[in-house]
Amino acid sequence: MILLELTLYFMLLSLISVGGMPSVLPELQRYVVDVKNWITPEEFIQIFAVGQAAPGPNMLISSLIGWKVGGLGGALLALAGMCGPAGVLAWFVADLWERFKGSPWRIAIQRAIAPIVVGLIATGGYILATPGAPDWRLWAIAAASAAAMLRSRLNPLWFLAAGGAIGGFLLS
Amino acid sequence: MPVNPPRTLTELFLGFFSIGWRSFGGVMPWAHRVMVEERRWMTEADFAETIGLCQFLPGPNIGNASIVLGKRWFGLSGALVAFLGLFGPPFVWVLALFALYADFAATNATLRAVVTGVGAAGAGLFLGTAVKLGRALVRKPAALALIVACFLAAGMARVSLFLVLPVALGISLLCARKGWL
Repeated sequence: MILLELTLYFMLLSLISVGGMPSVLPELQRYVVDVKNWITPEEFIQIFAVGQAAPGPNMLISSLIGWKVGGLGGALLALAGMCGPAGVLAWFVADLWERFKGSPWRIAIQRAIAPIVVGLIATGGYILATPGAPDWRLWAIAAASAAAMLRSRLNPLWFLAAGGAIGGFLLS
Repeated sequence: MPVNPPRTLTELFLGFFSIGWRSFGGVMPWAHRVMVEERRWMTEADFAETIGLCQFLPGPNIGNASIVLGKRWFGLSGALVAFLGLFGPPFVWVLALFALYADFAATNATLRAVVTGVGAAGAGLFLGTAVKLGRALVRKPAALALIVACFLAAGMARVSLFLVLPVALGISLLCARKGWL
C-alpha cells in the first residue's frame, strides 16, 4: 500500500514539477518528512547530498526516496512516477509548442513561469539548508557555495566537495 | 556545419548513455557537449530551443529533452531508448553510492557531517541559481512580488505546492497578459 501511495504521489508531483526537481523539493520535503514521516529531516538533506554528488539528472533524488521507503521496487516506481506523466506531456506538447512559435500565449506562459520557478528554487535551497531549527553553520556553507557559484565557472562538484570538507570540521 | 542526427537506436542510446553516466555536477553542459559539439546531432539554436521548451514543461528538463528528441528521430522506441540511456547508468550510480553511504553512515558521525555539508553546499547552488535567474526579473515589481510570495507561501507557511502553483500561475499569467512581466 505504501508503494502505491508513493507512486501516485510522485505521479502527481511530476505534473506540477515546472522548473524540475529544485522547484518541487519544498513540496517533496513537506510530504515525505512532515506529513508522512517516512524520512527524517536530517536524512532528507543527506539523500539530497548523495543525489547531488552522483551524476545524472537530479530527479534521481526521487529514486533515493523510493529506495528508502520500499527498496529497489520503490526506487524504480518513484523514478517512473516522477518522470512518466511529465514525459507523456512532453511527448504531446512538443509539436504544439513548435506550432505556436511566436504566439502571444506562448510568450505569456514563458514569462509567467519564470518568476514562479525562481521563487520555488530559492525556497528549495532554503528548506534544504534548514532541516531542523535554523543552524548558522549550514546557512554559512550554503551562502558560501552560492557566492562561489555566482563568481566562478568551475564545475559545481568542487563547491560540493568544499561544502563536505567544511561540514566535516564544523558539524561533527 | 551540417548536422548529423543519430541513424540507429544504438547510436541514440550510446549518445544519451555517454551524457548520463559522467554528468557529475550537472547534466546540461554534458548534454550540450555530446549532442552539439561531439556528435553534432543538432545545431546550437536547435539545442537552445529544445531545452527552452523542456524548461517550461514539468519534469526533468533533460529527461524531457531525451523524450522529445527520441520521438523526433525514431518515434516511441526512440523516446524510450533515449530516456533509458540517459537515466540507466546514473540510477545505478546513485543507488550504489547511497547504499555505500548508508552502510558507513550508521556508525560514522564524521561522514554524516561531511555529507550534510555537501547537502548544504548543494542548497547553496540552488540559491545561486535562483539569484542568477532572478537578476533579470527583480527589476519588474510584479515579478519580484511573485518570487517573494512563492517563497513565503511554500517556504515559510509550508503551503502545499499543489495549491501554491496553480494560484501563482493564474496570477502570473494575468500579470503577463497585462505586460507587467
